[in-house]
Amino acid sequence: MESFQITSFSFFMDENNKIFIVIPAYNEGCVIQGVVNEIKKNGYPNIIVVDDGSPDDTFDKAGSAGAIVFRHKINRGKGAATKTGIEAAKLLGAGIIVTMDGDGQHDPGDICKLIEPIKKGLDAVLGTRLKNPRGMPWYKIIQNKIGNILTWYLFGLYVTDSQSGFRAYSRRAAEIINTRADRYEYDSEVIREIYVYKLKYKEIPIRVRYTEYSMGKTQKQGFINGLNTLYKMFWKLIN
Amino acid sequence: MNFHFYQIIIVIISAFMIFKGIADYAKGKGGQTFHKLAIRIIIWGGMALVALFPDTLALLAKALGIIDNMNAVILTGFLLVFLMIFKLLSAIERLEQDISEVTRKESLKDIEKKN
Repeated sequence: MESFQITSFSFFMDENNKIFIVIPAYNEGCVIQGVVNEIKKNGYPNIIVVDDGSPDDTFDKAGSAGAIVFRHKINRGKGAATKTGIEAAKLLGAGIIVTMDGDGQHDPGDICKLIEPIKKGLDAVLGTRLKNPRGMPWYKIIQNKIGNILTWYLFGLYVTDSQSGFRAYSRRAAEIINTRADRYEYDSEVIREIYVYKLKYKEIPIRVRYTEYSMGKTQKQGFINGLNTLYKMFWKLIN
Repeated sequence: MNFHFYQIIIVIISAFMIFKGIADYAKGKGGQTFHKLAIRIIIWGGMALVALFPDTLALLAKALGIIDNMNAVILTGFLLVFLMIFKLLSAIERLEQDISEVTRKESLKDIEKKN
């Protein structure tokens, strides 16, 4: 079986065809079709889904919804899957790359807000939940603030949502940013790259839809995963 | 001044780790930043300093209750175990990254061929 599938891919008819949406997905079989369809309805036909070794039917469902699908044979983590998606977007000629979560918590209606500053010459736009935390559980707000402080301390740049997966990058930024993190520490490592390479960036408030499904996922960044992420951030610094 | 065998070994390993960090920093290899280099020098330099001049830590040792030879042996044992764990974790980290890279290359191979 081929490790990737292109079911609908139209070449650069308008400027949205230079925009690629990258979605890392693990065990998202029951929601991924809806996520892909919603993004397409918002006018973005180039959607890359990286199935990160899911035992369920994420790969087939995303493919049948019309996404360009890639598969990791084994689970490597959100960071590794996002990096694979960005590499694929670069190979497909992307001008702007947007990363989103696969559980439907990000609103595709916010994509246009994220890509607008990139079109005006910025390198990266970071979606932030903390500038509009309505509906966000209190423990997630605290968890996020701790993550922000640690990211600032370890990597040198303070942002209001260092753990957000909803971001947009220019082609230039996608070429420059080179992360090594495989798991959730990926999001913080991108902040480090922005700081080290002095990339022009902006934070834009985004809306997040916390559903029973997205909150119930065991592989999400919970307390234990948070400690693991912290350990990995420290480890990468001293190793 | 007489040095014990373990002191020489620790100094050699520390010197190697610091040299490798400086070489990586100079070549810009492995994402070595000044911050990382500084932490590396403090950790490994501190270890070498303690190994070479244990007396300089006499005050701290007294405060912590490490005052006799047996405690020094146990402490050295801890340092060696720490060193081994450090090397093991480094090797695992490198392997993890290699596995991710191979997985990525495998998943992108068809599209790379088409380009």
